[in-house]
Amino acid sequence: MTPLVVGVSGINAVDNPGPGIGVARSLREATDLDVRIIGLAYDAMEPGVYMDWVVDDAFLLPYPSAGHDAYYQRLRQIQERTGMRVVIPTLDTEMPFFMQHRDALAADGLATFVPTAEQYRLRGKDRLDELARTIGLALPRTEVVTSAEELERAVDRIGLPVMVKGAFYKAHRAHTTQEALVHYHDLVAHWGYPVIVQEIVQGDELNVVAVGDGEGGLLGRVGVKKMWITELGKIWTGVTIRHPEMLRATEAFMAAYQWRGPMELECIVDGDTAWLVEINPRFPAWSYLATGVGVNLPARMVRRALGLPEPTPPDAPDYEAGKLFVRYTYEIVTDMERFQRMITLGERGDTP
Amino acid sequence: MSRLRSLAINADGFAFDPTTGDSFTLNPTGLLILNGLREDLDADAIAARVAERFEVSADEAARDVTDFLDTLRTFRLL
Repeated sequence: MTPLVVGVSGINAVDNPGPGIGVARSLREATDLDVRIIGLAYDAMEPGVYMDWVVDDAFLLPYPSAGHDAYYQRLRQIQERTGMRVVIPTLDTEMPFFMQHRDALAADGLATFVPTAEQYRLRGKDRLDELARTIGLALPRTEVVTSAEELERAVDRIGLPVMVKGAFYKAHRAHTTQEALVHYHDLVAHWGYPVIVQEIVQGDELNVVAVGDGEGGLLGRVGVKKMWITELGKIWTGVTIRHPEMLRATEAFMAAYQWRGPMELECIVDGDTAWLVEINPRFPAWSYLATGVGVNLPARMVRRALGLPEPTPPDAPDYEAGKLFVRYTYEIVTDMERFQRMITLGERGDTP
Repeated sequence: MSRLRSLAINADGFAFDPTTGDSFTLNPTGLLILNGLREDLDADAIAARVAERFEVSADEAARDVTDFLDTLRTFRLL
């Protein structure tokens, strides 16, 4: 049988890991899917390029910000080389491209399962107030700013310390207005406008990973408590939880926004209050935890994207709380050849 | 009380709250009191159990139970 070729981005399994390796592992573990994983990388040194037990072949892409035409053409080249039928973008910066070109890609035989541009916009960090009200969560005092003067006024109103967050990535704690300004300029330089200033609330970091079916329902969801995080704020150890308020909010989000594709709900929970931090429009880097407890979200998503039947026997209907997630580091020693091929040819060279 | 009931507790006194992901370590006295609460016993009945099991005075057992209930409130488990 011809394997199903799936392209997965975000294979940068570094200290701030992309979600791709967890997604790829999940697909490999779906016993009803015979997959061949194509890693879509932006740098020859992304570790996933060399993880050949997870990624069958890897190709370099230009950044989407370098121009949609070049990105589209490169995807088509990879499709022609590999027979790729599905692409799972896992990085925030890829989303605008895939949302905009979803129909054209589908017409060219590349299936995706991503939200519409409107759904994506409505969950943006600059719309948190409305989002929190819609899904029934509390929101720390939040202001969206587009100038240094607005930032200073927002800090005055909210009070120090504050979180200063980029439109796409990064969040910094600022203890002084000067510190907030430094973070503001840094975020604008890297990610553009707007910048979000948010009150710091105390509590546990609880998150949910889920996939919406695009019709108001869920293909599955799993909650986690971050027990140990790195200096970059990335989960290193976590445990599955069933926090009713967060699971309810996830369902409310799907129902209200008809979300199609993966998402991560981030909250700070203090007692009975669940504060919305943000909703990310993609799989989180820890999404393999869901697969590990029997909720294989990437596999469910691929089946839905291609209209494939449910597996036999079916997936477990739900998951157990109290399952531990532990990340670890590992090293690979390999020949320079693959690196050279990535640099010179833009591909690892494992496609016949 | 619903959070107390949902705690997963093993025989060694490790308790896990599936709602929040919090975990706790209980000493034998705490484990006895917690199990009493989960059986809907009142504080006096639990203190009587503590006094009998650990061979302490009724007053001391009552103080232990009161202290432990305060601790549970601190962790918002009561």
